[in-house]
Amino acid sequence: MLIGISQETKQINSLKPIECAEEMSEYLSIIASERCKRSFSKIFNYFAPRLRSYALKQMGNDALAMELVQDTMSNVWQKSHLFNSEKGSPSTWIFTIARNIRFDMLRKQRNRKEDICSDDLWPVLCEQTPDANEVSLDHQVTMDEIGVMFGSLPEKQKMVIEAIYIHGKSQQEVANELDIPLGTVKSRTRLALQRLKEMLKDND
Amino acid sequence: MISFHPSFQDLQTFSAGNCEPSLALMISAHVDMCAQCQQDCIEIQSELASEFTTHPLQTSSLNNQYDNMMSKITDLPILNNTPSKIINTSIELDGKFFELPRALRRYVKSTGNWSRLVGKLWQAPVDLGDIGKANFMYMEKGGRVPEHTHKGNEMTLVIDGQFCDGIAHYDCGDFTIMDKKHNHFPHSEADDGCLVFTIVDQPLHFTAGVARLLNPFSHLFFK
Repeated sequence: MLIGISQETKQINSLKPIECAEEMSEYLSIIASERCKRSFSKIFNYFAPRLRSYALKQMGNDALAMELVQDTMSNVWQKSHLFNSEKGSPSTWIFTIARNIRFDMLRKQRNRKEDICSDDLWPVLCEQTPDANEVSLDHQVTMDEIGVMFGSLPEKQKMVIEAIYIHGKSQQEVANELDIPLGTVKSRTRLALQRLKEMLKDND
Repeated sequence: MISFHPSFQDLQTFSAGNCEPSLALMISAHVDMCAQCQQDCIEIQSELASEFTTHPLQTSSLNNQYDNMMSKITDLPILNNTPSKIINTSIELDGKFFELPRALRRYVKSTGNWSRLVGKLWQAPVDLGDIGKANFMYMEKGGRVPEHTHKGNEMTLVIDGQFCDGIAHYDCGDFTIMDKKHNHFPHSEADDGCLVFTIVDQPLHFTAGVARLLNPFSHLFFK
């Protein structure tokens, strides 16, 4: 009997992080798409105390530890769109952000110049843009402009375009996610692209 | 094919963020080029992350502090994608362009001019600030570095081409750390020569031939 119980507990324990990873991934994507403070508070309540205990161990100073917690969680809030669940779990992502911030904090503390920074060593928060080398200057300028134009699209069109062209989702997936008819997704996409094309023409 | 990698222990220290900056830079550049070490780092990081999430928590009454922090954070604007800055991703020697691994691109602008060291050997110094002295070294086909050993450590990453040093044959992406135990004479027989990136914490120590004249204090280090 006793063995049975302990095995059961073990199983529950081993399942927990996985369930937690899925749940946390979900929160991160909601933060990215809706700036949802409630989802953020779930992430915050789980990770902030863990980050603090990691930071205390590493920095040995409460003020610095709290600074590390705040900087890490600020990045999570501001850059949740860069989290990619295919590349790893939320806890790995958040750990690597904290590790990077700690690296820079320690160097700053020792008054080192910025000869090296964590972004170069571990590109955790790099934008998923194509290699700069493959993009010609002219093309890059156009991409910047498109960014501005994209920003001026109506919110509903922006969401659809982002889901399809940035996150690579199918129109059907977008329809399911936003709970709107497929036809609506198609017409929003068409309208948005038309609008972008017009803006590009006017820009020339 | 890459056959020389950082030690697993160094990958662990690197992933935890506890490496010396010069070694961290080397490993980071190697990892950019090496799928195997990339995978190792991903696994190490996820282990470190699970350590950090399962670490026992101190029960403390920080709730007020946490609440303040959280509301401060959620007042911050979400950052939109900012297009990456265009930086020079390659260095040039004699009309040849060499694409650099991501981690080294930051240093293109602090790379000095090429100068011919001896024969078919070229060197361009890289200013790493307080991290250490680095050089790009280019061996033309048939070019060789005079036989030497090291007073400190010499870290080398092959960026392009192949070379041999009397110890082994190295290919693009290979990473080595040599110290005073190693006596070697790097040379390249590859048609397109070989470009390497090196960081030394002490000057090289030449051990053979006329090159010994480069090192007037060798008797202090060798008995």
